[in-house]
Amino acid sequence: MELAANSSGRGPLTQRTSEAGTVTWVEQARAIFLKDLRAESRTKVAFSAIGVFTLSSLLLMALATATLKELKAFSEPRFYQAFDRLHSSSDVAVKSIVDAALFPAWSDSSKMAILWVLLCFAAFAGLSHAFVHEEEAGTTLALRLTMSAPAVYAGKLMFNLMLIAVVTVVVTPAFMLVTGMHVGWPLVFAGTMFSGCVGLAGSATIIAALAAKAHGTGALYGALGLPLLVVFIALLMNAANTVYAPQVGVVQALKDVGGLISYGVALIGVSSITFRYVWEE
Amino acid sequence: MSVQTSKSEMVSGASTGVDGLWWKSLCGLLMLFVIYGAFFIAKGAVNFIGTGDVARIIFFHVPVAIQCQLWYFIAAIYAVRVLMTPPGAADRLAIDTKSGTAMELGFLASILATITGSIFASLEWNSYWNWDPRELSIVGLLLIYAAYLVLRGAVSANPNRRAQLCAVFAIVTVIPATFLIMVVPRIPALQSLHPPNVIVDPAATSLSYKIVLWSSFISFTMLFVWLFQLRCRTLGVIARRQARRTR
Repeated sequence: MELAANSSGRGPLTQRTSEAGTVTWVEQARAIFLKDLRAESRTKVAFSAIGVFTLSSLLLMALATATLKELKAFSEPRFYQAFDRLHSSSDVAVKSIVDAALFPAWSDSSKMAILWVLLCFAAFAGLSHAFVHEEEAGTTLALRLTMSAPAVYAGKLMFNLMLIAVVTVVVTPAFMLVTGMHVGWPLVFAGTMFSGCVGLAGSATIIAALAAKAHGTGALYGALGLPLLVVFIALLMNAANTVYAPQVGVVQALKDVGGLISYGVALIGVSSITFRYVWEE
Repeated sequence: MSVQTSKSEMVSGASTGVDGLWWKSLCGLLMLFVIYGAFFIAKGAVNFIGTGDVARIIFFHVPVAIQCQLWYFIAAIYAVRVLMTPPGAADRLAIDTKSGTAMELGFLASILATITGSIFASLEWNSYWNWDPRELSIVGLLLIYAAYLVLRGAVSANPNRRAQLCAVFAIVTVIPATFLIMVVPRIPALQSLHPPNVIVDPAATSLSYKIVLWSSFISFTMLFVWLFQLRCRTLGVIARRQARRTR
């Protein structure tokens, strides 16, 4: 059966230059990435939007959970010593009740899940910029004529990945300061954060392309993208449990972080195949 | 009536008389048997709260949960066919209609599975929602179905663009859907309250349960295929009427 779109995924001008052996799709992707980076360095719209959104959300979250943070003090040893003195007969019962009440809401792995929920919302508030900007500026046609679809996808993906990675690097220390989240197992922590960025950028890029082509607003972008993150957050929570449990061993850590990155890589793989059907009219 | 005739009718939207009367009658009889069997043939299940009567909802909950997963992949297969069909081809929009209809049925099944599951959970596990991984899987699929229908509504003015974008979304979301069905219920961090291998382990259920449960699978599958045909035919009629008006 004949493919609906041009199977090479290249516009006419691109085909000519490629035949001459001057421009490969990797170079095209690099050019798109650098163009977006230059445009972003001039206006800083996407970075500012995501950064301010995340920091504001962090502040609101910290305010809303301030009571939980205070209750955390109840689980500290010195507090139980006081309990021992006052209620020596019911110490175990009191401790178990307080621990049961606090653990699900405020463990380190829960804090990491909350951090990624903030980043997910921030990403789906600002990462559509890469495609929406092309549509608004009317440069989509020019880009379609001069660049191949895989190169456009790769360039936009790299830009979104860079953007979300920078925001993560800025926001994570602030989040750790506010919530008291620990690093845990450093290598696994770094691997989890990187895998999270890959999964989030992979989800956000293809959905941004779809929403831009549907001439959708920010609400459509969020509505299409956030359901994809249910699995992402579930896998991230699984990896986060390993970050704060070094006793599980290297093999289990590789499995858990590998599960998270495999989701992002699979999503990017399928997106790279289907992107040309979104990009080409 | 032959299968070929019914397929062509689905595409064209033309309908004369009752097509496939025998299997539709069989579907109705099987449904009646399942309703009777669930309350009068199957005994109360062991290892459940009280007399085990709460487990009777399994005969309705498990088949719709499976339909919820099944129709997603049917929609994705049609979505692949949409992308493989040239944009000007006559049957492209008809294939897109089938993909969209399969998504609508999956959405319906996921709502039914969520409601029946919550009723069971409230009685057996004392809460309507327990963050069980299988609950997460179904509600995750429900959200993906809903997102697909939102996209479909957003681009409804241009049928060709709708076909293209919805097909891509259906194919891309195969990854989260597969993870939701295959991986999430097996994540060690998310411990499941659902008993494992009840359906596939022959020793887990009695003969009366097996008979009613498998009858329920078959009858629900027939019912959803019937709904699929009806919906495709209705949408075909609507599309033809709109085409006549714009002419």
